Amino acid sequence: MSKVKIRDSVRRIEDLRFLTGTGNYIDDVVIGGEVVGVVVRSPYAHAKINGFDATDAEALDGVLAVITGAEWAAQNFGPIPTNSAVKENRDGTPISVPDRPCLASERVRYVGEAVAFVVAETLAIARQAVELVDVDYDPLPAVTHPVKALEPGAPQLHDAIEGNLCVDWELGDKDGTEKAFAAADRIITLELHNNRVTGAPIEPRGAVAYYDDASGTYTIYQSSQNIHANRNQMATILGIDKDNIHHVAPDVGGGFGAKNSVYPEPVITLYATKKVGRPVKWVNDRAESFLSDTHGRSQYSTVEMAVMNDGTFKGLRTTTIGEMGAYCGTVGAFTPTGGSARTQGGPYAFEAMYYSAKAGFTNTAPLDPYRGAGRPEGSFQIERIVELAARELDMDPVELRRKNLIPKDALPLVTSMGLDVDCGDFPTVFEKTLAMTDRAGYEARAAASQAQGKCRGFAIAPYLECTGGMPKEHAVISFDDDGSVSLAIGSHSTGMGHETSLPQILAAQLGIDIERIKFTQADTDATPLGGGHGGSRGMEMGGNAVLQTAGEVIEKGKAIAAHHFECSVDDVEFDDGAYIQPGSNNTMTMDNAINAAQDHSTLPDDLAPGCLDTGSTFERGIISIPNGCHAAEAEVDPETGAVQITGFWVVDDFGTIVNPMLADGQVMGGIGQGLGQALLEQAIYDEESGQLVTGSLIDYALPRAEDMPPMRLDYYEDSPTKKTPLGAKGAGEAGCCGAPPAIVNAVLDALKGHGVTHIEMPLTPEMVWQAVRDA
Amino acid sequence: MYEFNFQRPANSDAAIDAQANAEDGQYMAGGQTIIPVLKQRLAMPSDVIDLGAIEDLSGITIADGTVTIGAMTTHTDVATSGDVLGAIPALADLASMIGDPHVRNRGTIGGSIANNDPAADYPAAVLGLGATVHTNQRTIIADEFFTDLFETALDEGELITNVAFPVPDQAAYMKFPNPASRYAIAGVFVSRTGADVRVAVTGAATCVFRAAEMERALAGNFNPDAIEGIGVDGTDFNNDLHASAEYRTHLVSVMAKRAVAKALG
Amino acid sequence: MPTLSMTVNGEQVSGEVEGRTLLVDFLRENLRLTGTHVGCDTSQCGACVVHVDGVSMKSCTMLALHAQGTEVATIEGVANGDTLHPMQEAFRENHGLQCGFCTPGMVMTALALVKDNPDPTDAEVRHGLEGNLCRCTGYQNIVHAILDGAKAMREGAANEGES
Repeated sequence: MSKVKIRDSVRRIEDLRFLTGTGNYIDDVVIGGEVVGVVVRSPYAHAKINGFDATDAEALDGVLAVITGAEWAAQNFGPIPTNSAVKENRDGTPISVPDRPCLASERVRYVGEAVAFVVAETLAIARQAVELVDVDYDPLPAVTHPVKALEPGAPQLHDAIEGNLCVDWELGDKDGTEKAFAAADRIITLELHNNRVTGAPIEPRGAVAYYDDASGTYTIYQSSQNIHANRNQMATILGIDKDNIHHVAPDVGGGFGAKNSVYPEPVITLYATKKVGRPVKWVNDRAESFLSDTHGRSQYSTVEMAVMNDGTFKGLRTTTIGEMGAYCGTVGAFTPTGGSARTQGGPYAFEAMYYSAKAGFTNTAPLDPYRGAGRPEGSFQIERIVELAARELDMDPVELRRKNLIPKDALPLVTSMGLDVDCGDFPTVFEKTLAMTDRAGYEARAAASQAQGKCRGFAIAPYLECTGGMPKEHAVISFDDDGSVSLAIGSHSTGMGHETSLPQILAAQLGIDIERIKFTQADTDATPLGGGHGGSRGMEMGGNAVLQTAGEVIEKGKAIAAHHFECSVDDVEFDDGAYIQPGSNNTMTMDNAINAAQDHSTLPDDLAPGCLDTGSTFERGIISIPNGCHAAEAEVDPETGAVQITGFWVVDDFGTIVNPMLADGQVMGGIGQGLGQALLEQAIYDEESGQLVTGSLIDYALPRAEDMPPMRLDYYEDSPTKKTPLGAKGAGEAGCCGAPPAIVNAVLDALKGHGVTHIEMPLTPEMVWQAVRDA
Repeated sequence: MYEFNFQRPANSDAAIDAQANAEDGQYMAGGQTIIPVLKQRLAMPSDVIDLGAIEDLSGITIADGTVTIGAMTTHTDVATSGDVLGAIPALADLASMIGDPHVRNRGTIGGSIANNDPAADYPAAVLGLGATVHTNQRTIIADEFFTDLFETALDEGELITNVAFPVPDQAAYMKFPNPASRYAIAGVFVSRTGADVRVAVTGAATCVFRAAEMERALAGNFNPDAIEGIGVDGTDFNNDLHASAEYRTHLVSVMAKRAVAKALG
Repeated sequence: MPTLSMTVNGEQVSGEVEGRTLLVDFLRENLRLTGTHVGCDTSQCGACVVHVDGVSMKSCTMLALHAQGTEVATIEGVANGDTLHPMQEAFRENHGLQCGFCTPGMVMTALALVKDNPDPTDAEVRHGLEGNLCRCTGYQNIVHAILDGAKAMREGAANEGES
């Protein structure tokens, strides 16, 4: 048994399960008697559906049902909802949101779109039946490129939406920016692309559901990172009361945004289980994951910076084209608009900034948040233009950045983008990062590279984040007769370690052993609401919910201590795990108070056993502003274009750090995905056929151990945010914000001698080789 | 996977019979290519004839300047064999670059060359060393074995028993791997035996091939400088998602020079 | 249907399987050993790695009947009762796992790697993970875990030798 404190690197409780093969992931869930569902997916990027013929599939021995798009349409279920925080275009008209049915019946708009669902006794039978479902398609012309989709004459996806345009939006100080540009010595301009990628959690999505006829309720287990929202949305689609769905996520094998949205398949699984009267399990294979998971990023941008000849930044203007995919995802138009706009300009001082975005529909899988959801795009935009400015001004990129960082005494401030930056010390974080990078040894390393025919480069990339996600979170703390303490939360770990870090907060607050705490997450029966995972909200929202609820438990316990001390409740204080009565020798540990709370004889008359049980909703105000700085060293073989990142250094300001070991894990994982976007990953659709040509792990490169540099991490911990009691700022997505620009700029620095100034991500060897050759 | 009848014969004769008697019999060596193909329902054999129980198809022997490797010998066994490391270290080196450790523990030389994937590594060694493929029916020299994309000189039902590699004076393999699949985007195997030089290229075209002009230049001067400026004609090279034909053409030159340098130690 | 017999984690097991049944499916469905995972269908991710006669293999890329008569070891057999194996302990101590989905394959790969190379370098460990994908950790803590686990195993072996 052990006492823990906040900022201890408590080892993970969940690891005992995961390391011994006894985790319970979606494909491990057994209800008993379940049958298997497999989705029939569109082979066309764009086609009219003339009809379905499921006769042969239904005739196959072992097939229980074939649910076609036509059957689905006949049920008059609702479309899949979208909930973008950006709801209006710049002219005040509503953004365009097309209806998206769970099963398409009239028209398909991307390869992999669900058109039917086969339920069979076994997976093998179901897969065979899928091949026998005859869907009569008339192929239509497709467009898979977001810029081309907005051009006149492009194939049109939705009859009611003109020009494939979902949203046309702006934010910032347009006039002020124009003035800053007019007054500047130079305008630096760069066109760049944030490549389309996919989260690719190693566990594919899946669900297992059953229907209880007697009570009229569904139970669904789903590999989701957002079950309360998913439950509510599924109920809306099916037109039933949300309380008739009990939604649980078992252990979830990674999410990164790809398990955030409400998807068609779980809704169909609910319908199917009721229809066939048996539990139904549906689990995607990897190929289906590539086709049907939401993708992320994909922005084509023009970034312009107004700057003085001495390097002083004046104004920033970003004009971007984002991509929706065939329909609006769960947060719809938000990612390329508000999601990218808020942190424009990073931690630099600008007189004014302006952001303008359009996003269009393409014949591709819908896009939705992927780790960072717009902020990595913004971070890449600013850090690339700053690097180019240093080149064009012939200034040291380190000096140029140093010169323009917002000084500590300028905080708090509100940026042109409306971002409330309350605290931090960007210059200190920057210098602390730089000091880690062994600049003194750089020349020798560069010479060693040169001796092998290679080039070495360095870059530093400060970033500005904003985190918080869903603004409410609920925690329930209850005390059981056996002495255990139950903690239930509506936030959701898909690998981040909340099963350890949230009990850690509770144990530290109450002064009890962490082993005494039983943790539950992601169960709609356990908490009345929950914000799941998204927006790096685990500690910021979940942590604060636990802190707040623990505080209420402590307050309630004062009555027990007062009864024990025979004093007034007002005379009781709580300190370091015990109630005390100042001025007396009376003390009562929280352990004893918890025990006393279970027994009538040790409680005052007005309290009953269970009196300490507490549920509480924490609601945040303004989102918090994590920030930090990444630096990278790259070695490039100009002859082949091969890149190796040889060193990586990070200092992050996450405010209060609950468990540094887990924070490190979040940062390193984010760097891994950032490196993937920078060097390896790209979801590519063929522009003619609309097929996803990177539809397997043979074609879509995820980073491997050898691709990753050694990483050194540190923290700046002197600025906990006052926006929330815990003081934590979100950590989960920061790695994805800093890593791509640090890596790309380091590669470009290495190729400076070759005259290369820009390469689009991913910087594959061929892209690098081409750039060297063309320069 | 579609259903199939699984057979596991104990010797080569039984395997050949099983294949002959099956409606559509498919030999399976290590299965590292064919199982993913079956999983994707891209093949529908009536029978899978597993060769894993045929003991005399595995093993490495060395005699009279020849390293003979049984068809069912795994990549790991070749990569770690003292005999191979001693006689043709480039061959062990190549085997150690195939796939990943787990794939190397099951994948076999026979399975690899019978499949003749255009991006596979082994065809480069077989052609680059001028090996001889022995089957249950005949011997086939490397230059006649690899015929086209996924095509070999093997007849229906013909079974590779072993591959005999003459020991060269110097040899090396250099590969530029696909970051996702680990297959070769371009791989070049060079060997020198006396004045005889072979340069075999995999990954770049639809089938492994010899770079004749490079061989001639290297025969006179086995040195990377000798092939500076001597490229390969990449007109018909693979041009796909992973690399343009132009880039592959360039990589072949770079890998060839680096392979020669590596062979020289 | 053919009958399959093998030893799994030291216990003799048998069952009827189809020719097309993959080893991973036999382990997961017939034996309910669900620690071995499937993360892809093209033999890249390595979440399914088990040992067959002491050698690491991708159980999604071999048929169950390939394991006829062999000794198979899965993640469920690595710990000694409630006591974690030193390699598992090293993964926990180094935070070498997050979502845990790739972890069984990582641990089985680590054990195979250390068997062949008891004192690997950082670079050798990274190369040895060529067939295993992790999307959560950025690998550094996995590499550190394997180095620490290998060290603990060497020390354990040395202590056993002395006693």
